[in-house]
Amino acid sequence: MKLKKRLISLGLATAMVFSLTACGKGDGGSQTTGSASGSGDAAAATEVPTIDSITLKTSADSEGDYGDLTASIKILTNRTDIVDTVYKGYAEQFMEIYPNITVEYEGITDYEESLRLRLTTGDWGDICFIPTSVSKEELQNYFISLGDFDTLDGIYNFCTEKSFGGKVYGIANGGTAGGVLYNKKVWDAAGVTELPKTPDEFLDALQKIKDNTDAVPLYTNFAAGWPMGAWDAYTDIVCTGDADFKNRMPHMQDPFAKKDDMTGPYAVYYTMYEAVARKLVEEDPASTDWESSKGAMNKGEIATMVLGSWAVQQCKDAGDTPDDVRYMPFPITVNGKQYASAGGNYGFGINNKATVENQIAAMLYVKWLVDASPIYTDEGSIPARKDQPMPDVLADFAGVELLSNAQAPEGEEDLFDNVNLQSEVGINNDDYPDCEILEAALYGTKTLDELMGEWNAKWTSAQETLGVEVTE
Amino acid sequence: MSNMTAAAPKTRKGFWENMKARKGQRILVIVLFMIVPLTLLAVFTYIPFFEMIRFSFYNMKYGGQEGTWVGLNNYIEVFKRSECFKSLLVSVYYMGGAVIQLALALFFATMFVFNVKGSGLFKGAMFFPYLICGIAVGFIFKFFYARGYVLDSLLQMFGVPLEEIPYWLQDQRINNISLAATSVWRYMGQNMILFLGAMMSVDTDLYEAASLDGANKWHQFRYIILPSIKSIVVLNLILSISGSLSAFEPPYVITNGTMGTGTYFVIMNRLAHENQKVGLACAMAIVLLAIIVLCTVAQNLFFKYVFNDGTEDESKAAVRAKKRAAKASKRGA
Repeated sequence: MKLKKRLISLGLATAMVFSLTACGKGDGGSQTTGSASGSGDAAAATEVPTIDSITLKTSADSEGDYGDLTASIKILTNRTDIVDTVYKGYAEQFMEIYPNITVEYEGITDYEESLRLRLTTGDWGDICFIPTSVSKEELQNYFISLGDFDTLDGIYNFCTEKSFGGKVYGIANGGTAGGVLYNKKVWDAAGVTELPKTPDEFLDALQKIKDNTDAVPLYTNFAAGWPMGAWDAYTDIVCTGDADFKNRMPHMQDPFAKKDDMTGPYAVYYTMYEAVARKLVEEDPASTDWESSKGAMNKGEIATMVLGSWAVQQCKDAGDTPDDVRYMPFPITVNGKQYASAGGNYGFGINNKATVENQIAAMLYVKWLVDASPIYTDEGSIPARKDQPMPDVLADFAGVELLSNAQAPEGEEDLFDNVNLQSEVGINNDDYPDCEILEAALYGTKTLDELMGEWNAKWTSAQETLGVEVTE
Repeated sequence: MSNMTAAAPKTRKGFWENMKARKGQRILVIVLFMIVPLTLLAVFTYIPFFEMIRFSFYNMKYGGQEGTWVGLNNYIEVFKRSECFKSLLVSVYYMGGAVIQLALALFFATMFVFNVKGSGLFKGAMFFPYLICGIAVGFIFKFFYARGYVLDSLLQMFGVPLEEIPYWLQDQRINNISLAATSVWRYMGQNMILFLGAMMSVDTDLYEAASLDGANKWHQFRYIILPSIKSIVVLNLILSISGSLSAFEPPYVITNGTMGTGTYFVIMNRLAHENQKVGLACAMAIVLLAIIVLCTVAQNLFFKYVFNDGTEDESKAAVRAKKRAAKASKRGA
């Protein structure tokens, strides 16, 4: 008998070991429908509402949907620098209004890669910034739909970026306009009176800064990797003025070829290549440091950095002369007009494997963040809601047309991503090809035409592999 | 039916009786003790490994959906891509580093075998880098090599002007050496401790006897220590070489694989995570595994024929000389 007992307990122990390996899947099933339903409709608790149909409470005592929902949610973020200060503050403000909901932040360094792996387990939390490597058709595998595209597109900016099949799966945490960060004091001291409008004018201005001041004309932040990838952001709207360019690219023959009027992706990379080749960048790109570059930008030791507008506020905060840090449009003119692409930041997505209560609570928090929190004034970014005012940073963009990428035609939502990944040109996802441009310019190993020729060849071969029709 | 129900208790009884017997108990204990480590091993090593082999025949991305079967195409592509094998050349720097690292480790271990003042402190100090995680080591050296930071200011203190100091990470002639040096710094202490452990087992009387016979420290090292620890030297060499082929942390953290420092692993990582070519990256991993196995076998054969794998004190040449002498004497007779 004793042995039998032992055997049974052992069997249990083994069963537990095995069940450990399977626990990722089991959680979703045990949804209780007890505590929720503040809107008075009992059936509503089992179904997650769309984000536009919720009315938020404005204070703890006011009326609103789901006022007595009890839940505890976790939100993942890449902003490890402010997760315990600013973001925690937002959570506290929210918890004052909804005292029964607990919001906890988790900051992740190396966000893209770790989240990419954690997503597949389903057990990562309730809200996250959707990693850029999740392609559109994959969105529904991990996230719940926040509402219909047609409805939400009228309320929020950048909905196209995280939607698939007429549903929106993520709402951008505000947006940025693509431009160039510069220190006005240094540019004035160098004698540049008018902002450059073409790549060559820009390079001339950098040359003046090199000749007349001690500042680094253009700081590439090469060692960090991602600031090089940031150049990709100018390859669609900025250099073509065409909101549909990104959708056309998969069908284009040689999209990286040189154009006579200095527009197109070639012009963007030309700016980088020439700046490096003419020694208008920092002395040793291999040992740059992003954190200290923000302060150097503020102090005027760095004259220019090519980064999204989200970086403006960070550079302003990094020193005593925030007013010197300004933002200008990228120096490419298409048919006499300058364009800037306005794109969404990381989008908030809600875990489709979480319990219904958590999904509703997460929906409330996301809605509060994008609609009511001070996050966009704090970060100086374009707000998520279309009816909120633009930030001050974009003052130099007067006369510049702001566009965002158009929705891809039906059935081709994934096409750009697929061609891009297959070709390994890595626009907006892999920094290495951009690093190669800098290396080639630095060592003088390849000309830009050779590099762009390689990219075109890769693009063509990806089109062939995937069987994409080349129409232009 | 009735037959079976009648038979069942009987066999079960037999089974229980067997289990109660000494032999049965022994089997039971063995199985029970093994089940946890074996389960862990299977779940975290073998199942992922066989899955990886399966993935290498598919064209697939991360995420739920199954990829498409492409047969050997991924392998063909690995061999077609020039960057995959060019990156193996970068590993040569790390192999060179491994040899230097072993030599240094042998040198220090030998010093510590003979009584040195404060040897505990030195041993600890030299072993310490091994305890730091590889990513942290990367960040330390990122700032160590950065222009105008630690290394440059040290050299300037010794009077080297900044213009004459090379760009440690940018200059393609030396940046791989800089990176390999970080792994020498990290693993040297660990190798030293392993050597020291083996050397401790050498009878100290031998040194005394040898020095009475007039052997100096070099002779003692060459004829007593080295032969006694030959097998551990060979083992360390094999581990270091296969480690060099799969070097990842220094180039990934310090230079991100740019400026010609991308090792095989860095390229594999980029393909898998940035470009989501999971199948191709899996094929690369398996090709690397094959290369490592080949290298290990080749090394083993080399040591077997050149040094008798450290199991014999006499070298092949000595054996041959003896045989020749025997033959000669036979012929003479």
